[in-house]
Amino acid sequence: MKHSETVFLVDDEPALLKALGRLLKAEGFAVQAFDSAMKFLSAPHNNGAGCVLLDQSMPEMSGMELQQRLVQEDSALAVIFITGNGDIPMSVRAIKAGAVDFLTKPVKDKDLLAVIQTALEKSRTMLAERAEINQWKQRHAELSAREKEVLFHVVKGLPNKQIAANLGVVEQTIKVHRGRVMAKMGVESLAQLVLVAERLQLK
Amino acid sequence: MNWVTIIWSMTAAASLTLAGIHGFVWLRRRQQMASLMFCIMAAATAGMAGCELWTMQQTDMAAYTHALQWYNLMRWMVTLALVGFIHFYLGSGRPWLEWTVCGLRTLSLLVNFIFSPMVYYTSIEELVRIKFLGTEVTVVEGIPSPLSIIGQISLLVLAAYLVDATWRSTKVQHRPGGIRVGLSAVFFVLALSLQMMFALWGFIDMPIVASLFFTGILIVMGIELSEDMLRSARLAEDLKVREQELLSERKLTDAIFESAPGMLYLQSADGSMVRWNSQHERVTGYSNDETSRMKIEDFCAEVERNTLTEARSMALAQGGHEVEFDLTRRDGRMARHFFRMVPVEVAGAPHLVGIGIDVTSQRALAAETERQREQMAHIARVASVSELSSSLAHEINQPLAIILSNAQAAQRLMAREHPDLNELREILEDIVNADIRAADVIKRLRSILRQGKPALETVSPHALFDQALSMAQPDLKSGSVQVSRRHSKKLPLIQADRIPVEQVLLNLIKNACEAMEDNGSREKTLSLTCINEGGWLRFSVRDNGHGLGEDGDKIFEAFHTTKPKGLGLGLTICQTIIRAHGGNLWSEKNKSHGATFHFQLPIVPENL
Repeated sequence: MKHSETVFLVDDEPALLKALGRLLKAEGFAVQAFDSAMKFLSAPHNNGAGCVLLDQSMPEMSGMELQQRLVQEDSALAVIFITGNGDIPMSVRAIKAGAVDFLTKPVKDKDLLAVIQTALEKSRTMLAERAEINQWKQRHAELSAREKEVLFHVVKGLPNKQIAANLGVVEQTIKVHRGRVMAKMGVESLAQLVLVAERLQLK
Repeated sequence: MNWVTIIWSMTAAASLTLAGIHGFVWLRRRQQMASLMFCIMAAATAGMAGCELWTMQQTDMAAYTHALQWYNLMRWMVTLALVGFIHFYLGSGRPWLEWTVCGLRTLSLLVNFIFSPMVYYTSIEELVRIKFLGTEVTVVEGIPSPLSIIGQISLLVLAAYLVDATWRSTKVQHRPGGIRVGLSAVFFVLALSLQMMFALWGFIDMPIVASLFFTGILIVMGIELSEDMLRSARLAEDLKVREQELLSERKLTDAIFESAPGMLYLQSADGSMVRWNSQHERVTGYSNDETSRMKIEDFCAEVERNTLTEARSMALAQGGHEVEFDLTRRDGRMARHFFRMVPVEVAGAPHLVGIGIDVTSQRALAAETERQREQMAHIARVASVSELSSSLAHEINQPLAIILSNAQAAQRLMAREHPDLNELREILEDIVNADIRAADVIKRLRSILRQGKPALETVSPHALFDQALSMAQPDLKSGSVQVSRRHSKKLPLIQADRIPVEQVLLNLIKNACEAMEDNGSREKTLSLTCINEGGWLRFSVRDNGHGLGEDGDKIFEAFHTTKPKGLGLGLTICQTIIRAHGGNLWSEKNKSHGATFHFQLPIVPENL
């Protein structure tokens, strides 16, 4: 069985990288292994869905720090921690920061593969959401300046009459703009428009 | 009235007064023989003065002779009393001189009575009336008798006696009054004998005036006696003041005795109770009457009596000592007391004055502190073990993870139709390496536990025992464990890392104490032995406790424990330490009760 997503391995222990790599490759995953967080960051890693199997304790940059960087990058990669001696506070922090799971070495193959599946699903969802938002963003960018103004007022819940008064035009003009905004954004109801505006954080 | 009558009457009166005063003194204090002698001498001098006045007024030969005889009797008395006074007052005259003076004088008196008319003259030719101090007085003219020399000699011997007695008294005692009395007596006696000779041989015409000379002696003696009395009066006064001071001192010590926070007592050298404060009665419960018949040992728990007796002799020998023991009250209850005793001489005999303070609460506090300290140490041990296990987990899990993932990858490869054998070979290689690594980790951890190679130094086995015993003292004491050390004084030196080996001994002793905790009526005995086995010294710690039980051979395994609070690491660590010295640690079940632990340490080569 072949997977399109890449599993990134980051661990300062080369022998473990090799072992996990063999296991995952045998399962049909595309695997990229890095023996330090810096090497991983400098390599291309944001091309689609995937997950990172991350060692918590590494020299230079720890797994937790790498997770922060991925969040900042707005990465769609799901994070799985794997550690030699994890404690409860550490795992809680990791999960809160968005990690899918926090595993302790040695990990049984079944457990590992199940977590990787979950992570990849999460990554795929994130990626799909991101694509949708990008579409809305593009459509919003194609609106004229006047249309953007009208959209802003509409999603605030103002009636046409008041929007016309605010912008210093007749009510009929607002109605025309409003119809065009709906058409350009590709929505069929006011409720849908408000939802999109919220996703784009226009308020 | 004329001068002669006035002077002689006054002389007699003064002498009688002095006689009366000192007679009275003697009546009050019979042992003062000097006063009696003085009284007799003064009375006789008064008699002499009377006789002299009597002779001076006689015109008839027979009456004169009669008066003269009385006069001689008086002189005899005066002389004897003077000798007696010097004898008692100075206390330094030679007896033979005294007897000579008295004998000569008595002889002179007897001769005087036998040979009439009298000793001074062979014949009295006539009585002559001469002018003396403006009055006519009677003197006698005659041929001096050769026997009169006896009287003269007796005067000279008297003078010699006085000089000798005075001289000897200055050597024996420094009494300025005594010297004054002696010298003035000598002076007056010599003056008198001169006057007598001149008068007798007719060089001067003078009546007998001897009483005046003796009165001179009397006055000097009287002054000295008065001064003596004044001095003794002063002494009596001083004594009174001293008594007052002593009384207030006594009150002060009484107050100090009572104000002490604990028991204060005075005991004789053999331990008998002499004096004690009311606190003593309150604490011990014994009444004062009972206490007065007791010794300090009677207040001490029986097992500690020897310690107390020893402390008492130490205190007497070294000027103070301290001791602690369980004070047994009348009702049988015990209270730990701290005693300090200091030697003091009372009525010429060595005594001990001391204080006893109840230290039950302090000791309980100390025991509690010790218990808490031990608990802390235990917690620290647990903490360090948990820390160890967490680092152990990390170091071991890494290779385990490598092995597991490799093995599971291999299983997948093997499931394929054409497994990549090269890949499988690599995987197996990696598994072997990871395994070796895991073994290395365990080895390293063990070396950390062992704390490296022992730093060998030359150590005396006695010092090891001493140090371990002193560290185990609280356990030995609280468990009332009897310790016997049975090994020869002459043991060779050994090579050992001192601190860990002491720790081993301490650990074994503590284990022994714990094993004997439930001994009940069986006396807890711990015996320490050390045997030279040639090249090795074998140390043995033997107890008579509950023994090793059925799983006796498991005791050296880590985390195996029979104690509710134990970690099961003590003996494991002990064995690690001894093995690091090249020796061995093993246990043995005793035939009767308990167990014996042995270990060996190498002897310093040059001591072999």
